[in-house]
Amino acid sequence: MTLAGTPLARSLPRRIYLRALRLRRSLFFKYFLTLFTAVVLPLTLGAAGEAWFGYRDQSRHLSQLLHVQSRSAAERIDAFADEISDQLGWAVQFPWTDGNDASHKIDALRLLQRVPAILSIVLVDQSGTERVSVSRMRLNRIGRGSDMSADAAVVGARASKVWYGPVRYEHDSEPYVRIAVAGNLAAAGVAIADVNLKLIWDVISAIRIGGAGHAIVVDDSGRLIAHPDISQVLRGKTGSEDFHRLKQALGGADASAIVTTGVGEKHVVAAAAPVARLGWTVIALQPASEAFASLRAGLWRSLGLIAIGTLIAAALAYALASRMSGPIRELEIGAKRIGTGHFDHRIALASGDELEKLATRFNEMAGELAISRQKSERISRLKRFLAPQVAELVETSVGLLDGRRREVVAVFADLRGFTAFSARAEPEVIIAALREYYEAVGAVITAHEATLVQFAGDGVMILLNAPLACADPAHRAVRLAIDLQAAVQRLAKRWTDKGYAMGFGVGIAMGPATVGTIGYEGRLDYTAVGSAVNLASRLCDLAGDAQILIDPVVAEQVSGHVRVSWLGERMIKGYHRAVEVFAVVDGATVKRKPAASGTSRPRPGLRLDGAAAQAALCGLKSASTESPAKAKMVAVAH
Amino acid sequence: MAARAQETSRVYRILWLSTASSGADPFLEGFREGLRAQGYIEGKNVVLQSHYAPGDLQGLRAVVAELKRGDVDLAVSSGPATRAMSSVAEIPVLFAQSGDPVALGIVKSLAQPGTNFTGTTFLSLELAGKRLELLKDVFPKLRRLAVLSNTDHPGEQSEWRATQQAAKALDVEPVYIPFFGPREFNGALASVGSARADAMLAFPEPVTMVNRTKVAQFAAKERLPSMFGWSEYCEAGGLLSYGANQRATYFLLAKYADRILRGENPADLPVVQPEKFELAVNLKTAKLFGEELDLSSILFRASKVVE
Repeated sequence: MTLAGTPLARSLPRRIYLRALRLRRSLFFKYFLTLFTAVVLPLTLGAAGEAWFGYRDQSRHLSQLLHVQSRSAAERIDAFADEISDQLGWAVQFPWTDGNDASHKIDALRLLQRVPAILSIVLVDQSGTERVSVSRMRLNRIGRGSDMSADAAVVGARASKVWYGPVRYEHDSEPYVRIAVAGNLAAAGVAIADVNLKLIWDVISAIRIGGAGHAIVVDDSGRLIAHPDISQVLRGKTGSEDFHRLKQALGGADASAIVTTGVGEKHVVAAAAPVARLGWTVIALQPASEAFASLRAGLWRSLGLIAIGTLIAAALAYALASRMSGPIRELEIGAKRIGTGHFDHRIALASGDELEKLATRFNEMAGELAISRQKSERISRLKRFLAPQVAELVETSVGLLDGRRREVVAVFADLRGFTAFSARAEPEVIIAALREYYEAVGAVITAHEATLVQFAGDGVMILLNAPLACADPAHRAVRLAIDLQAAVQRLAKRWTDKGYAMGFGVGIAMGPATVGTIGYEGRLDYTAVGSAVNLASRLCDLAGDAQILIDPVVAEQVSGHVRVSWLGERMIKGYHRAVEVFAVVDGATVKRKPAASGTSRPRPGLRLDGAAAQAALCGLKSASTESPAKAKMVAVAH
Repeated sequence: MAARAQETSRVYRILWLSTASSGADPFLEGFREGLRAQGYIEGKNVVLQSHYAPGDLQGLRAVVAELKRGDVDLAVSSGPATRAMSSVAEIPVLFAQSGDPVALGIVKSLAQPGTNFTGTTFLSLELAGKRLELLKDVFPKLRRLAVLSNTDHPGEQSEWRATQQAAKALDVEPVYIPFFGPREFNGALASVGSARADAMLAFPEPVTMVNRTKVAQFAAKERLPSMFGWSEYCEAGGLLSYGANQRATYFLLAKYADRILRGENPADLPVVQPEKFELAVNLKTAKLFGEELDLSSILFRASKVVE
């Protein structure tokens, strides 16, 4: 494997992508998503709702508050102006005569004493001539002075009783306004006062909205008249553009407070109220940051809760996923181990929930699998030397393979000339020939439900009536042998055509034998031991090509069904007396002709059947030619 | 406001400069009181270094010349000392001035000082004539008026000119009795005694302020109805005073000091003028003069009556 194929060498983004994919599909992620939705969604919706309604309520509340404050300030400024004009009214009650200037002066001085905001007072008679002038700073004057009949204050007061002048800034700093009042009697003249507007500071500075909210007063041009920080007023025109803009912005919005840029680029919530008589505007304002501080705090609280909610969701998801994934991994590992054949593996889970039940089911399944595998192992073992249907049967009936003594039919068969062939031919050719041979033999054995006990080299040993009993085993064995001959001779013909002359001989014997399994754990064979087995082996040795030799017991059993010929008595190794040997004449089933030449039931001492018997005898092999493999097999059979 | 000043853990250093004598400085006491009202505690978050050079402007100039940025956070001067400060450009300077600070050249305008100077002006110049008028109102027989003036005080000449104008309008003959600083004060007082005046007017400034009891007693002894600039004189035995409230002035100065210490630029802080003037009358002193005085013309206007 090259490095490029390893996970390590995969590009980082791809690894991250894969990890993300795993995460997204993981239990943790699913739980997290669910819990997150359950916890954070309501919180978020709640916070959003609270923020929205809070903003609305707060705006409404602020709007009311600011309006109340600005209106109350406007009223108080109105009252301030009213108070001054009322007081001035006292100075214009009596008509002017030539001698009463001094008493008018006293009135004016009293007025100065009563109203601290008034800096100076000028009293004008009905002709518009200045008669008295008193001041806190300048020298007082008395007697006829300059003609003021064209003065705006005199004209204004005469027209509308009370006249308010524009705001004037002394030294371009201190704000003053002129207020003129005409008496009810034209003869009482007009009183004109210069009023220091720094004194309405008391009105404005008393207004506090929250921590930093306040009220200001601006004139028609937007110039500041009053501010809690008096130095803002004294500063002159600086910032008047800002105040003017603020005033303009509020001009149309009489009903509600608006959020706008205040002085110095900061956002403010502001409401305005006019001081109509003076042409001034009171603006109550609060920095937006402070006005909505509680909302912001609420939002932060909500964000905090959402963060906590997220953490809780993550923690819960992690805990739940761990609780789930641990047992699931156990199950996964267990399934894998069981899958690889470790049926003894058990999954230990004590979660007390469905997962534990699942684990229990898993364990039960593993047990069942173990039993099932043992069974199938046994069956496949049996199938090596039993016909498949027999094998199944054996598995289901207990003790069938136990050692016992019973009547069996043993069939031995091997190739003639195989030794020479195997010495001469290439290994591949030998193996190919053996494969053909065993396929043919195996098919016949299976077809006849016989039990293949052993095979070695070219020799096979087949049992009938063991381990499973069957009806008429001798006959069945002969039929088997005939089929074997037919199948192998077809092969032999092909081999001969290829230049390998090989034949096939079969020996069958019947008699009691001990059957059972021998061997050790992992390598067990089912076999039969007894003289019939030995005899069958010897008969096979004796048999020539295409010959099937049977012992008298078999010959007796099949008489009337298969034509056999008596070959006479033969000395068989391991037998102290000669044994009668019969040969199956051909594959055809004998027609029942009891009167026929007595071949239906060959008996000892029976005369040889002419040419057939001669041929049979000629085909007999000497025992000395047996192959080493067969010698071994025989040894096993002993 | 008090809490705000205490928030900062810094200890601010304020330099107090005066040409008055160090013994009893009523202005410093007023300023200290103002600072306390702003929440400053001396020794804890503010240190007041005072420097007195009685009548010695050159001595103050030498001190000021050595001042560097970072030595002090703020300098406060009153009266003539302000002139010594005019060369200071790196340290904010607060002043309490009788005269016009624009004329003195330390600010560009009252609305926008535009320099490192700001403070208050008492408008003494404008009030000079008014004082004479009030004295004439209460003492109609006034013909010859001794005017005690410290020539070391900034704006003194303007004040004297305004007084002269008023005197002319009111048909009074002013007798100018100038003195330069505390050292010439006693001599000046003696000159008042020998001036054959009907009454006495003292310009408000540190030297007579410090010696106000002495001046008041002198006036009583000489049977001179006296007029002063601040109510402290009246409380000390002077007959009349007319002018801005000093306590309010120094409270305002302390407020400005707080704003400057918290980082505001003095160039943007307008020079403040007093909007309230108090007329104080000492009835005890008035009794000395009996029927000579027309108290009825003035009592209804008095904002402070000492009995």
